[in-house]
Amino acid sequence: MEFQHLNRRIHLYMGLALSPWILLYAVSSIPFSHGRFFDDLDKAKQLPNWTKAAEIAFEAPVPEGRQELRELGRAMMRTAGLEGAFGAYRQGPKQVNVYHHSVWRSTQIRYLIEERRLVVEDKRFRWDHMLTGFHAKGGFEQDSLLHDSWGVVIDLACLALILWVASGIYMWLPMRNLRRSGMVALAAGAVSFALFVWLL
Amino acid sequence: MLSKLLRRIHLYTGFFLAPWVLMYAVSTVAMNHRAWLSGETNEGPRWEQRAERSFDGVLGEGTAGEQARVILAFLDLDGAHNARWNPDKTALVIQRQQLRDPLRITFTPSDGKVLIEGQPARTSALLERMHRRRGYAQDYAADDVWAFIVDAFIIAMLFWVVSGFILWWQMKATRRWGLAFALGGLAVFIGYAITL
Repeated sequence: MEFQHLNRRIHLYMGLALSPWILLYAVSSIPFSHGRFFDDLDKAKQLPNWTKAAEIAFEAPVPEGRQELRELGRAMMRTAGLEGAFGAYRQGPKQVNVYHHSVWRSTQIRYLIEERRLVVEDKRFRWDHMLTGFHAKGGFEQDSLLHDSWGVVIDLACLALILWVASGIYMWLPMRNLRRSGMVALAAGAVSFALFVWLL
Repeated sequence: MLSKLLRRIHLYTGFFLAPWVLMYAVSTVAMNHRAWLSGETNEGPRWEQRAERSFDGVLGEGTAGEQARVILAFLDLDGAHNARWNPDKTALVIQRQQLRDPLRITFTPSDGKVLIEGQPARTSALLERMHRRRGYAQDYAADDVWAFIVDAFIIAMLFWVVSGFILWWQMKATRRWGLAFALGGLAVFIGYAITL
């Protein structure tokens, strides 16, 4: 098999295999780009975003460091009976928040330090938030093999994007009748992009 | 004829948007490995003083955004920004969203001082700003055009997938392997969507 043939097959099969990711990132970019529109649609429903699920007595020292704060977050997750991906944030001098998120569900645990209790709240499902959450889902900051493997898949999808560009250009090179127009499209894109980076 | 047209659109949109494809790919890797690249995890940006000026003009009534435009015009830095007064109304804090060099501008009415701060240049931070840049919320033409191109990029991605599938189906020799790759990818994706 000559290299050009192999290049075409890689371009095609990689695209077919990764098409769900491309569709996810394309569709989920719409609520990112038009967030205000989706927020206004949702506000019109006049539904609460959070529903209280539990209140639990809890007391633990609040550390300063980010890594130690994650340890506290883990303890809050355990106390609330939750497992999975989470982030821990110091909301203010009197509160620490843990945000537990999966693709389909989000739960917030608020540690009210002075009141020595946890308030567990479930987030109402919204399609636009599910999509943006899935879009933004990283992997390596979590402590599980599953999330690490998702991080690797994201890296592979990015590598595929770069390979698509490279293999696309390599397929175009022998097409003499498209050389000039292809060159114009490439140059126009590069100049436009550079202009925006300069202007914005 | 349809096949030829699809191939041409697939190619030309891909070529024009290639810089955006590369930018989104590289910036995603940078964000995916943020802790490793920056040696920190989600810490706030480090600000360094660039200049200090005295403002003796009039801010006028209006929103924080409108008042920020007066300060930005005074500094000859008008452009995309967010602004808010701090809780005790002692300072107007403006985030001037320049892609290459974002600035924080703090105006304190009590002494008329305008403090301008910037961040040390970091490639990973620049890539992340490009990735997250959206435009429609700002009143500037360049931002609107950028947002329009992002929308065009979204449509192009959908088109690349759909046209890719159509072009693949026309190549009988690749149907079996193509189906295996497409179904394999879909199965892995659904697995992650259920378990993550």
